[in-house]
Amino acid sequence: MTRLSQFLARNWAVLLLLALWQGWVSLAGLNSIVLPAPWPVLRDVLSHPALYLANAAQTLATAAAGVAIGLALGALVAVAAWASRLLAGMLTPLGLIFSSVPVVALIPILARLLGYDISTVVAIVAVSAFFPTFVFVGAGLKDLPRGADDLFGVLGASRAARLRHLVLPATVPNLMIALRITVPEGVLAAILAEFLMGRSGLGFMFREAASRFAMERALGTSLVVTVAAVLCFSLAHRAERVVRTRWS
Amino acid sequence: MTLRARLHRYGPPVLGVLLFCLAWQLIGAYRLAGMTWPPLTAVLAYLADPAHHQLLGRAAGTTFAAVALGYLTGTGIGLGLALLTRLVRPARAGIDRLVALVHATPAIALAPVFMILMSRETIPVAISALAVTYLIYVAATSGLEATKAAHADLFRTLGARPLTAFWRLELPSALPALASGLKLAVPVSFMGAIVGEWFGASRGLGLLMISAMQNFQIPLLWAAVLLTTLTSLILYGLLGLFEAAVHRRFR
Repeated sequence: MTRLSQFLARNWAVLLLLALWQGWVSLAGLNSIVLPAPWPVLRDVLSHPALYLANAAQTLATAAAGVAIGLALGALVAVAAWASRLLAGMLTPLGLIFSSVPVVALIPILARLLGYDISTVVAIVAVSAFFPTFVFVGAGLKDLPRGADDLFGVLGASRAARLRHLVLPATVPNLMIALRITVPEGVLAAILAEFLMGRSGLGFMFREAASRFAMERALGTSLVVTVAAVLCFSLAHRAERVVRTRWS
Repeated sequence: MTLRARLHRYGPPVLGVLLFCLAWQLIGAYRLAGMTWPPLTAVLAYLADPAHHQLLGRAAGTTFAAVALGYLTGTGIGLGLALLTRLVRPARAGIDRLVALVHATPAIALAPVFMILMSRETIPVAISALAVTYLIYVAATSGLEATKAAHADLFRTLGARPLTAFWRLELPSALPALASGLKLAVPVSFMGAIVGEWFGASRGLGLLMISAMQNFQIPLLWAAVLLTTLTSLILYGLLGLFEAAVHRRFR
C-alpha cells in the first residue's frame, strides 16, 4: 500500500497526462489519423519489435560513437590547454562561445560540409559534445587541489609526471559531468540529424511515418525515443554518481 | 589595472577569437574545406548587402518573435509550476517527475503531438517554451530552497506571516539562481524555435537554413546560421551581465 501511494506521489502528473490523452481521444471521437489513443501506440511498438529495435540500436550506436569522440577530443584539447597558458586563454572563450550557442543551428552547415552520410550524424553529435566537454574539463583542471600541485612542485616532479598523476585523474569527475550533460544533447542531435538527412534510424523513421500520416507509427517512435533518452539520461547520471563517490 | 595586466588578461581571448576568424577566412578563401565553406568576408558581405535584407529580415522577425514568445511563455509556466510546488508541497514529487520526463524527451518526439494540437506556425513557440520551462522550473525550485535556515528561523521567531516571509526572504534568495536560469534559457529558446520551424513552418531562419542547405545556397546558409548564433550570443551576454548584477546584490 505504501509502495502504491509512493508511486502515485511520484507519477501522478504523468498518469494524469495519459488519462487526459485517453479521455480526449474517446470524448472527441478522434480517428487514428488525427490522434491515436495511448494503447494502439503501444501496440504498434510491441507488434513490430524488430523494426523499432533495429532503428533504435542504430540511433543509439551513432549517438554513442559521436559522444565518445566528442568527449575524447574535448578532454584532449582541455589537457593541451592546461599545458599552455596562452592556448588556454585563446581556447576558453571560443569554447564558452560555442557551448552557449544553439548547436542545432550548426547541423545544416555540417550536413552540407560533410555530405548526407551516417558519418556526418556522428560528426554532428561529436561537435555538440565537444564544446561542453572542453569547458567542463578545462574548468576542473583550473582548480586542481591546491596542496597537491604544490606538493608535486616541491618534490620536483616533472611536467609529464604531473600530467600523468595529477592532471589526468583530475579530469575524470568533470568528464563524467560532461557525459551527463552531453548524452541527452547527443541523442537529440543524432535524431535531428537523422530527421533532416538520414536514411535510417529513429529520426528518419519518425519523418517517414509523419509524412504519410501514420500517426501510430510516429507516436510509437516518439515513445521509443523518449524511453531511450530517459534510459541514457539516467545511466549517465548514475555513472557520474558512482565515479564521483569512488574517485573522491 | 595597468596596461600590462590588461594585456595579460584580455590578450589571449582576443587573440583566440581573431585567430578563429582568420582560420575561417583562410579555409574559405583557399577552399580547404571544399565549396561549401565560404570565407568570413563573403558571409558578412551577404549579410550587409541590402538586396538580402528583406529576405533575412522577414525570416529573422518571425523567428525572433517566436523565440521571445516562447521564452516569456516558458518563463511564466516554469515560475508558475515552481510556485505551485511551493504552495502545495505534496505536488512537488509528481511535477518534478513530469518536468524531468518532458525534458528528457527530445523535442522532436513531441512534434507529432504539437502537429495535432496546434497550427504549424505556433510549433516553434511551443517547443521553445517547453525547453525554457524546464530550465526556469529547476532554477526557481532550487532557488526557493536556497533560503538560509538561520534567516528562516529568524523570520519565524519574529512572527512574520508566511506571505511576508515569501516576499521578503524566499523570493530575494531565489533571485540569483533564477537569474542564472534566465541566462541559460536564451540559447535553449533559440534552439526550440529553430527545431520547431523544421516541422513545416512557412517562414523563419530555421526554415531558411534548411532550404539553403538543400538548394546549395551556401552564403545564405551561413548568413542565416551566423545571424541566429550572434543574436543568441548577444542576448546571452546581456543576461550574463544582469546575472552578475543580481549575484552582487542578493548574495
